Amino acid sequence: MLKTTYLLLLLVVSTHSFAQFHTTYNWVETPKLHPLSAEDANVSSVGILKKHIVEYVYNTETPDPIRYETEHTIVRVNDDKGIARHNTVYIPMYEVNNVVKIKARTINAQGKVTILNQDNIKEVKNVEDYGDFKIFAIEGVEKGSEIEVLYTVEKTYDMYGSEILQSDYKINEVEFVFITGILISNAKAYFTNTHFTDTVVNDKRAKVLRLNNMPPMIKEEYATPDANRISVVYQCYPPGQNITQDMFWNNVSNNISSQMFPNEINPLALADIDSITKHQETASVFKKVALLDNFVKNNFNIVKNNNEELSDLNYILKHKSASKYGILKLYATYLTALGIDFEIVVTANRHEYKFDPTFFTPNMLREFMIYLPSEKKYIAPDRVDYRVGEAPPNYLGNYGLFIKKDGHYLAKIHQADPNYSQTNRVIDISFDEDFMTTTLDVNQEYTGHWAATYRAILSLSPEQTIKQLKSFLTASGVEDKETLLFETQNNNINQTEYNQPFIAHSKVSSESLIEDAGNSYLFQVGMVIGTQSELYQETERMNPIEMSYPNEYNYTITVEIPKGYTVEGLKSLNINENYKDTEGNTICKFESGYTLENDKLIIKIQEFYRSNEYDKDRYEEFRSVINAASDFNKAAILFIPE
Amino acid sequence: MKKRLIILFLFTPLLIISQNFSKEDYIFLKRQEYIKISLENHNFNITKNVTEQAEYLTSNKLYFANEAMHYDSFTTIENIDAYTYIPNTNEKIPVNYIETKRTFDNGVFYSDQESKNFVFPAVTKGAITNLSYKEVVKDPHFLGLFRFGTFVPTKNAMLTVEFPRNVSIGYINFNTNDIDLDFKKDSNELSNTYTWTVKNINGFQPEDGSEAVLYYLPHIIVYIKSYEENGQTHNVLNDVTDLYKWYHSLVNQIDNTNLNKVYAIADKVTKHLSSKQEKAKAIFNWVQNNINYVAFEDGLGGFIPRGAASVCDKRYGDCKDMANLLFEMLNHVGIEAYRTWLGTRDRHYSYFEVPTPMVDNHMITTAIIKNDTIFLDATDSYVPFGMPSAFIQTKEALIGIDAQNYKVIEVPTQPAHKSETTVTSTFNLDGNLLKVHEQRALTGYEKVDFISNYTFKKDTKTDEEFFNTTLSLGNNKTEYTNIKKENFNNKSTPLVLSYDLNIGNYAKTIGNKTYINLNIDKTLSKSGIDIEDRKYSKKIDHFFNKKFTTTFQVPDGYKVNYLPDDLSFNHPLYGYHITYSQQGNTITQNKTLYVKTLRVKNDEFNSWNGFIKSLIKAYRKSIIIEKI
Repeated sequence: MLKTTYLLLLLVVSTHSFAQFHTTYNWVETPKLHPLSAEDANVSSVGILKKHIVEYVYNTETPDPIRYETEHTIVRVNDDKGIARHNTVYIPMYEVNNVVKIKARTINAQGKVTILNQDNIKEVKNVEDYGDFKIFAIEGVEKGSEIEVLYTVEKTYDMYGSEILQSDYKINEVEFVFITGILISNAKAYFTNTHFTDTVVNDKRAKVLRLNNMPPMIKEEYATPDANRISVVYQCYPPGQNITQDMFWNNVSNNISSQMFPNEINPLALADIDSITKHQETASVFKKVALLDNFVKNNFNIVKNNNEELSDLNYILKHKSASKYGILKLYATYLTALGIDFEIVVTANRHEYKFDPTFFTPNMLREFMIYLPSEKKYIAPDRVDYRVGEAPPNYLGNYGLFIKKDGHYLAKIHQADPNYSQTNRVIDISFDEDFMTTTLDVNQEYTGHWAATYRAILSLSPEQTIKQLKSFLTASGVEDKETLLFETQNNNINQTEYNQPFIAHSKVSSESLIEDAGNSYLFQVGMVIGTQSELYQETERMNPIEMSYPNEYNYTITVEIPKGYTVEGLKSLNINENYKDTEGNTICKFESGYTLENDKLIIKIQEFYRSNEYDKDRYEEFRSVINAASDFNKAAILFIPE
Repeated sequence: MKKRLIILFLFTPLLIISQNFSKEDYIFLKRQEYIKISLENHNFNITKNVTEQAEYLTSNKLYFANEAMHYDSFTTIENIDAYTYIPNTNEKIPVNYIETKRTFDNGVFYSDQESKNFVFPAVTKGAITNLSYKEVVKDPHFLGLFRFGTFVPTKNAMLTVEFPRNVSIGYINFNTNDIDLDFKKDSNELSNTYTWTVKNINGFQPEDGSEAVLYYLPHIIVYIKSYEENGQTHNVLNDVTDLYKWYHSLVNQIDNTNLNKVYAIADKVTKHLSSKQEKAKAIFNWVQNNINYVAFEDGLGGFIPRGAASVCDKRYGDCKDMANLLFEMLNHVGIEAYRTWLGTRDRHYSYFEVPTPMVDNHMITTAIIKNDTIFLDATDSYVPFGMPSAFIQTKEALIGIDAQNYKVIEVPTQPAHKSETTVTSTFNLDGNLLKVHEQRALTGYEKVDFISNYTFKKDTKTDEEFFNTTLSLGNNKTEYTNIKKENFNNKSTPLVLSYDLNIGNYAKTIGNKTYINLNIDKTLSKSGIDIEDRKYSKKIDHFFNKKFTTTFQVPDGYKVNYLPDDLSFNHPLYGYHITYSQQGNTITQNKTLYVKTLRVKNDEFNSWNGFIKSLIKAYRKSIIIEKI
């Protein structure tokens, strides 16, 4: 049904009109300031308009369609922050063949208009990681001005594209116009309930998405706000073609698998195998992979530049340098030589982009991993700070394209070992005779992502970061601490056994944990677990809850009660907050309690988060668990003479 | 405004020469620079041949293989030769791909700086990388500096300067007292050659809260003083007079068209004002309020201010553009004002020691009104008229009087009483909830810092969250309501913040006693110095005073069980004083705190830590009330 309509439409519109919309689209001749609501006048800046037009133009004389993109924005700036946010403009030249026009003007509070001098547009070539740009500073901006920018660029034909519509300031009118004429196309909007509607622009078939009063995306904790911005993706197929999403996935999958599953092993790679396995042919698959991962990360560098040879296996083996795609080929070759079954995973950093398995766009094919189905573990080839284990937290929970030698599937990247990341701390506390000094003897064991992070810092980071880690691992919240001892074990980044704990032993003393209160002593016992973050929510929660990774903490705190004293105020040590899933399983909790044994007070705490994703509508329950640790941090007990 | 880090002139406890680098991951075997200066027809040809050789002692930090050589329109980079040598296999693997790149810098909107980038191939444990290239210096004012030390140890660092006998060279070493620096002079018929060598020098990495790295890193600045031709001496940068002459020749190139537009604004802004002081203030505030900071660094354009009229039209500019605009506006209304060059606190050189453009990185305007010298830096949008920006205190200012005359004056450190926070709080206990009404008045840099942070670092946080995370009053559960901000501007009137606080989980009731700590503001409690790991002195942005008056209303049915003793720490440069008193049912705590230094040197660390520890202990003292 739908198809027939399109076909009819197609017949109608293909007969005339090569008029390109961007050539007629313009800003108003005599601009006036837009009226602002009281609320809009009270923020640093507010968008009056953001209009983005993507127009594919096809005529039979050119082999490929031409893509024009027009961006038109009007922003009111109310204060210094607003001015600083909007008075410089960067236009990316990625895929741009030709700049059709760039215009900008300012309308100040008195209505005076200042037009951008075209001579002041600067060109910046090959900016690290981003390509070329046209940049300019907006002229004539004062508080209360409106800044209007309008530009059109002609780009190389590309079947896909995307545009982020939401920003960190409110925008009152947002419009995305997608003009494709006779070409078959597809578009989708994310993080909004509004859908594209079909329309006709300059006699050409088009889709449009209109949104009013788009709120700013706010930075929230336990969230991926950048990836959750309202945005659109689109596809526009070559003339006469209609392509399904499956065809796209198959194409990528075939393309990659043909390069990643070699039938013959490169002789240079084969020669490395003994250096990799160190003759441990009978070692477990995990151990072999760990040895391989260590070998590559101690001998190869990932290089970010435009050198195409960096994905050529011979070049990689000779220069020990690879692009982040090229390094996959290297791993694939070695794994094949070792006879280990693997899959290539293509995904995105979930903080930047939510991978959509139902709509293909190359924009989300940004990151690569290798999956080992027999171990249910991942290698992160371009992450020198990681070694084989669970997927790095940035990919966890995102979908990925898993490519096998003979096919592919789309699946969520999840953590197979629920207890991967644990912190176990045993803290023994004693006091000197006159209650001046508290000594903390702390034994800590960290596994999973924590262990990986600490090892990476010790190996890779500059001195200042290592100092910060040391400070964190030695009673972090105690401001006046003296560190008497600090040592670590299992600190080598090149581990070969699965999930060995990183061990830190420290001893610190403090004179501020105990307070003389008349003839008694108040002891800030909660502070020994370190400063705990407190989650705020002044406004309605915007983003779904996402943690870095599932994790668990176990504490055993033993306080030696000084002779001749008893202890009071223990009630504040009992805390129990939890969050149950729909089946009644506790998926996160903070629970603390105590026992008294002779002259010892023993406090046990268990805090865990079994999942890295929680229901946004149950944010308050999640927050109460997170904040319970912060409550415990404030617990104090009193020693009084018997 | 940026929080900048600190200082250190003298540090002795550091061993900067070592033979044993076995715990390092990566070291330089050599870093050498050979500067060759030649002169023909009053034109200098200057080249630097740079050679670097580094060794990977482990395979931990292979990312050091990323190399970038920066240059701008005053220099070019040529003849890059780079390769990795693998001793085990005697292999030499050349670099075969070099890319030219730009970067976006947060502070500078557009810069002509580019870099040549490549990655050394095949680096791993044992690999030795070799780099040599030629840098052509196109302008004799920019000979640059040479670092004897760098971020990792260097086994052999050498600077050589070869120059014709008719050229005179100046040089000055910094932080070289504790290294064994060898200096040799050679000469032949045509030229003189100076060579500085140092062996086995430790690495220098920056530290949080310290001065900029050049405060402690051993380095040398070499410059061309003059040359003789046909019996006549021609100065290049013989001393600060030459530097000034050159700067003056550059400001002579300023586009002075359409100044009438600028004068019209100056006239309008000062129309109803009579005193010079008022006029200068009005003009300064206008520039602060209306010209937005956008920096361009483009060849000599980085040294020549853009025309004042154009800056007014565009409404943006960088430091030199604002300085020149102020200069024009002030002089127009009859106020004696001068363009002024200076270095910010992260450049610690003196004009008299270093008469080269290395000495400064900033421009302001100096106004003389009656006998007052007033430093005007409009790049700081919130600093009140009469105070210099905090980051130029103690620095020498080169004040350009006219074509021949200049003055060098030190920008004075602003006394603590100009940057004061005065806090008045009333505490009430409601059950176990502590309710506080507080008013905070901030002046000087205390005000500037708060407004700058609020304006540029608040991000998408609500006011409540911003106050909670920046003031950190009580605990992190403190709720803020009725937040008010008055005088949120660049005027000298105090910024007044007021709010109500509900602090849960704070007062502690055990048995029939309740413990309440009146120190909800714990300023400086995180400022202790980790002496064991700390290498360089602590930097402080400005002097300040904080004064707190806190009253606590004892609830009905309670009596006071315990009041802490008065406590204090007195050092000429920092200290505090806390007293507690009771009158009827009201307990009053008076607390004052002062810091009157811009740096804490290494030999002062123990004293400073004594202050902070004493303060932390004082902060821990609670009052105790008891049920009757």
